Amino acid sequence: MPVLEATNVKKTFTEGRETVEVLRGVSLTLEPGEVVALSGPSGSGKTTLLSILGCILTPSDGRVVIEGTEVDAARPGDLPEIRRRSIGFVFQQFNLFPALTARENVEYALNIKGVAGRAARRQAERVLDEVGLADRRHFLPRDLSGGQKQRVAIARALAGDPAILLADEPTANLDSEVGGKILTLFRDLAKRENRALLIVTHDPKVLGVADRAVAIRDGLIAA
Amino acid sequence: MVNLALKNLLHDKLRALITISGVAFAVTLVFVQVGLFLGLLFNASVTIDRIPADLWVTSKNTANIDFAQTFPEIAIQRVRSVPGVARADNLIVWFMNVRLPSGAQEGALVYALHDFSAWGIPWRVEEGDLTDLKRGRYFFLDQSATRRWGEFEVGQYREVLGSRLKLIGRTQEAESFTTTPIVFMDYDLAQEISPFDLAGKTTYVLVRLAPGADVAAVRAEIQKRLPYNDVFTREEWRERSRSYWVDSTGLGLNMIMTVFLGCLVGVVVVAQTLYTSTMEHLKEFGTVKAIGGGNRQIYSILGQQATVASVLGFLSGAAMAFALKPAMAKISLKLLISNQLVLQVFAGTLLLCLAAALISFRKVARIDPALVFRT
Repeated sequence: MPVLEATNVKKTFTEGRETVEVLRGVSLTLEPGEVVALSGPSGSGKTTLLSILGCILTPSDGRVVIEGTEVDAARPGDLPEIRRRSIGFVFQQFNLFPALTARENVEYALNIKGVAGRAARRQAERVLDEVGLADRRHFLPRDLSGGQKQRVAIARALAGDPAILLADEPTANLDSEVGGKILTLFRDLAKRENRALLIVTHDPKVLGVADRAVAIRDGLIAA
Repeated sequence: MVNLALKNLLHDKLRALITISGVAFAVTLVFVQVGLFLGLLFNASVTIDRIPADLWVTSKNTANIDFAQTFPEIAIQRVRSVPGVARADNLIVWFMNVRLPSGAQEGALVYALHDFSAWGIPWRVEEGDLTDLKRGRYFFLDQSATRRWGEFEVGQYREVLGSRLKLIGRTQEAESFTTTPIVFMDYDLAQEISPFDLAGKTTYVLVRLAPGADVAAVRAEIQKRLPYNDVFTREEWRERSRSYWVDSTGLGLNMIMTVFLGCLVGVVVVAQTLYTSTMEHLKEFGTVKAIGGGNRQIYSILGQQATVASVLGFLSGAAMAFALKPAMAKISLKLLISNQLVLQVFAGTLLLCLAAALISFRKVARIDPALVFRT
């Protein structure tokens, strides 16, 4: 049974008097433990699709089901709860909190998901250990390299055991070697814990780690 | 729990310092201005507060205790005849000119009674014996006179309305609103040296009621027997004396304006720094939303930052105000900071800082979490 199922998803934005149809009927499923690469040229609708699948945006039309729960576009107030429960994000810019150490960054995400105190601390340390940053847990983001920052971001996404991991260009700000290692680590962790991983990318290396590649063009799935 | 609000606030130490300093200076300004105002009002009614009279009989429409007007002293007989009056005494409060050794002339506010000990004034005698006032042409002078009369010592003489009087005692804390030095002398001596104004006259009758006497009934009876005088309870007389200065000098308006400006400065500083900080952390707030947080979490972050800024700012500002107290006392400025004022200023600081955060609330409420994907 898929953990994520998007059916005929459409999204239109109104800019002034113009209405732009960014997604024109996209269907996509993610199975547990599956790694999918989503690629496409700029402006093709990748990030909009990622936002809808991550319950940050609601579709203008179509159906999104996350772990058996249909996302109700009429109730945007329910989206944070779905994000807390089922989704972990990794961003191109890492988006770590600069004032928090590596462990606190992960712990804070757990706090938001409702895990607090020692349990949050233990879990944060465990996932940091999994991404190989146990010895850097007290470092602030400014004292970490790009690769280490992305590992912290991955640890944060893994924290709370979400069924779906969504990554937006996770290697775009990393050099080729580090990017490759990060992708491998990310895939291995997702596979080991049976989580679905969708990676939006321009990076051809991603195709090497993905089980399946999906291309999007002009708001439609092309392949 | 990881406190993102506090960590973010303290991460940028310079910004935190500016925010806290802004609040602190506003708090100090409010404390100093209100404290000085209360200090002046304290002086305006300190003798009323210290004299244990239940009722004050004054001439008609006397505005405040310092600006006394005379009426026949035999009025006291009518007061004493009212049932419920345990004791009544004439009190003269009168401005008199004093010739200083330098040749300069200064004013004095004379308090004259037959028996000072019966009415508890002066309440703090530093030197001399009050009972000696009845023995000759003597007077007591409050220590606060030094700033207008210069240094003085017990045993020296001063010319009061042309009469040479000997200074036989020194008091403390007896100050008037106008800073005119307060002199204590015998009632008869005051009338003797100022016969034109005071012979056969008094300015107030102090009334102490018998235990269990009905204040309103006694007051009404005195008023009935002295229709050309006013009769006030101590609280009314205190309020009347204070209100005169507040209303007639613009002191109240001045205080309100300064407090308003102080609050405005504090609010603007907090609002501006919080707003700037919010704008700079917009992506972080977007991330909070993306990882499952809602507006409630972000409001909580801003609210906590405003609260921390207000508490630290308040503590620093209050500390500065208290540190200023002795320095201001040295230049004869009384800074009264009561516990009630401290609580009120704290509550005001907290409320205004939270109100300042509302501007940022509006901004973050509209954050699009999708901004986390933007580079």
